[in-house]
Amino acid sequence: MTHTEDKKSMLSQGIYIFVYLALLTGLEFFVAVTFKSVVLLVVVALVKAALVVYYYMHVYKLNVDGEGDHDSYEYKSGTNRLGLWLFLISDSFVFGGLMVMRINLLGLTHPNLNQLLGLGVTSVLLVSSFFMNRGETMIKNGDRQGFLNNTLITFVLGFLFLIGVVFVEWRIAAHEGLVASFGDPAKGPVGGVFYMMTGMHAFHVLTGLIFLAIVWLNGRKGLYDQKSYPVEAAAVYWHFVDVVWIFFYPALYLIGTVIV
Amino acid sequence: MMKSRSVGSGLLLLLVGGVIGYGVGLGLDFVVTGVLNFSGSVAGLFALLASVTAFFFGVYGYRGITRGLVWQVLGTILGGLFVTAIRFLMGLRGTELFGTFFFSEPAWVFGALVGAVSFLFGVGVMDDWVKWARGIDTPEHHEDKPGWEKYLGVSLDHKVIGVQYTITALVLISVGGLFALIFRTELAASQLQFLTTTFKLFNQTGPQIYNALMSLHGMIMIVSILLGISGIINYVVPLLLGAHDMAFPRMNAFAFWVAVPASVLLLMSLILGGFETGWTGYPPLSSRGPVGVQMFFLGVFVAGWSSILGALNVIATVMRMRAKGMTAMRLPILAWASVATSIIALTATQLIGLSFQLVMFQRLFGMGFFDPTKGGNPVLFQHLFWFYSHPAVYVFVLPGLGVISELLPVFVRKPLFGYRWVAMSSLGIALVGFIVWAHHMFTSGMNEYLRVPFMYSTLLVAVPTGVKFFSWVATIWGGKISTPTPMLFVLGAIIVFLMGGLSGPPNATVSVDLHLHDTYFIVGHFHDTIFGGFVFPFFAALYYWFPKATGRRMNEFWGKVHFWLMTPSFLILTFGMMRIGLLGMRRRIADYDPALGFDTTHLILTICGFAIALSVLIFLINFFHSMKHGEKAEGNLWASRSPEWQVPSPMAAHNYEVPFEVVGEPYDYGLPGSKYIEFAPAQGKKH
Repeated sequence: MTHTEDKKSMLSQGIYIFVYLALLTGLEFFVAVTFKSVVLLVVVALVKAALVVYYYMHVYKLNVDGEGDHDSYEYKSGTNRLGLWLFLISDSFVFGGLMVMRINLLGLTHPNLNQLLGLGVTSVLLVSSFFMNRGETMIKNGDRQGFLNNTLITFVLGFLFLIGVVFVEWRIAAHEGLVASFGDPAKGPVGGVFYMMTGMHAFHVLTGLIFLAIVWLNGRKGLYDQKSYPVEAAAVYWHFVDVVWIFFYPALYLIGTVIV
Repeated sequence: MMKSRSVGSGLLLLLVGGVIGYGVGLGLDFVVTGVLNFSGSVAGLFALLASVTAFFFGVYGYRGITRGLVWQVLGTILGGLFVTAIRFLMGLRGTELFGTFFFSEPAWVFGALVGAVSFLFGVGVMDDWVKWARGIDTPEHHEDKPGWEKYLGVSLDHKVIGVQYTITALVLISVGGLFALIFRTELAASQLQFLTTTFKLFNQTGPQIYNALMSLHGMIMIVSILLGISGIINYVVPLLLGAHDMAFPRMNAFAFWVAVPASVLLLMSLILGGFETGWTGYPPLSSRGPVGVQMFFLGVFVAGWSSILGALNVIATVMRMRAKGMTAMRLPILAWASVATSIIALTATQLIGLSFQLVMFQRLFGMGFFDPTKGGNPVLFQHLFWFYSHPAVYVFVLPGLGVISELLPVFVRKPLFGYRWVAMSSLGIALVGFIVWAHHMFTSGMNEYLRVPFMYSTLLVAVPTGVKFFSWVATIWGGKISTPTPMLFVLGAIIVFLMGGLSGPPNATVSVDLHLHDTYFIVGHFHDTIFGGFVFPFFAALYYWFPKATGRRMNEFWGKVHFWLMTPSFLILTFGMMRIGLLGMRRRIADYDPALGFDTTHLILTICGFAIALSVLIFLINFFHSMKHGEKAEGNLWASRSPEWQVPSPMAAHNYEVPFEVVGEPYDYGLPGSKYIEFAPAQGKKH
């Protein structure tokens, strides 16, 4: 499939991709509760991540000509885009390291967590990515009000995710005995792994929310009507946070057997 | 307020601030503990912070670095008080509320983090970003005022930042070297002479101070190396590329300034109880120990951001800011090496940050990552740690090896042999470097089947490194060699790095390493590689590009004295280390059995250590003296083909007045009629 630059079809492409992602998430959950194939879960996560990276984060935009006027806005945006992706590569090593830690310490087990809540926050984050994509497409099409509305929805959903993880999920977990210091030789340091992974991700969600707020406030002043790269940057970062959760969600909620 | 700012008033204030800080610290400590601890940590810490801040106030006034330091101190105190207040509300009292070092451990950690962030806001490096976030545009370039004052505040000019990096690296090298001299003196004879168990400083005994100094020597040198390579890369690479600055000037400034609070944190670790773990900070030892361990972890974590963001900037600069016609295979070798080194620094650095962060969280919240009683795995720490810390040594040496390849053709007047192979070998070393980390862990108790694959991958590093040696030797072969000081250091680097390289395979071989692990043989080996790969090329680069930065050259005679004093002393030092290492001298220990018969060797090693320190002192005096009084050198002093030497020194604020185009090969020295660059006709002026 080729990426299309047509205004309408960009928006409808966003919808198609969202439907695929939603179906895959459903499939993921179904696999996890029925025949528990780790390989299939990994494949689904990889496909989901690839969809987001290509269609929502439009990684192909990195592939631009190095020639051109070095002082033009386009060329500078290209440099900024490269810088942002380099940062994301760097950051993914943190999450990769956490994943390695999780596999090493917990293996094919996962903490006993509220599955419905997990699916709920995951869906919220996924839907927020959809609206972020719409917002970004709209500002590129010159629709400032549409961009502001969609960014605001993204912000609210992101905020809900943060509340869901930090103030609901963490509370429930702690209440059921999964505190940060929990761990024993048979089960592994479950509390540490759970809070470190969700906490590091939540920290990135928080920074993403700050970027969204900045972009929204400045967008109201009309700052991005012509020069819209900052919106793209905030969006790509937001989608990156979503990609991380695409891997962390199965790693913490779905893979393997429950530690009791 | 003093009218005239000078080093003299700075030194005066340093004394006054130190005394006041000492008094305040002593008083605070007394309030909490009820004891007047004259050599205690709190008094020492306040004396250090107050004296350094007062010094910069005297030199520079309340702006730039001074404001940053003041904000860091205030941020640390406020952050600490904040956590203490929360703990008070939680019902903690007495020693629970306040720890051994005034604040409790969580209060120190949070306070130190707040302090580091406060520094960045105080120094002013966040100003433009804050304005952007509020929707206010700022001019793309800020003009610096001429003179030395721009170096103590935020500047966006890559040349200023390069000098800031270099000077900070030299300061840290001096501090780290001083630490080495202290514990080297203790090692000069067996038994404890002055760092005895009755010796008390900063709440530590003599052997504890030895351990802390030894550990800090390692980490401070590592940070200084990272800053040193950033200094060279920052100054030189944009000039080589024909760029007017780095790709992201504000992030460039940020990456430098974040290293300053990191250095302060590292020094704080010595005072707040020290850390006895060695620079590797392995748990379980590091998950106990005093607050100093936390400050060490936090300092490295913050310094890591400097390295990561600097690397990001270098890659973006090389990919996007090249002059017309500078294709990949016409890129200077130093630019290739910088990219290779940056690929590692960009990615792997996150893993040391993460591993240290995990131990910090383990200590703060009782998380069980590396605690076997909670199902944790201490060996996991070593994997995460070495995944950075082995490639890190390639971060240290690759730019240095690039400097060697860059300078060698200039001084032998011959083309660089095998340009493409040399360019690719840097990338090769960087990529192979990612799959060798577990050779540090042959004795750690990791799965035994991992040993042999890691042995072979390690030996594989010798291939791209060998390519470089082959190229250097073939480049020298039949050349018209001249030996001014930079060339001496280039040749010294090749020889010393060869010694480091040859002592490497024995360590990589499992069977031998089981005996050599944690002995002085390893210490000798890595000092050879780091001196050959970083220190010698760093000095070569400083002597070589000094005229470019200042318009004056460093004194040749004293440069040669520096070289001829340092090189033999250094070789004796490392060969001696390897000798006693083979005979069983353990590394990192404060004392050794006189029956081992190492006293004479250790005495020689100590003398050599002092000789190296003397040579570096000569260098420093030469360096700072030549800035003002050196012989004028404004032209193409070394008859180089490189673009930065085709324009007068020192460089103009935005580098090249006229853009140039690359029309030939970079290193075709001695070939008649060959051209590397061509300046555009004057009307093609930009900016």
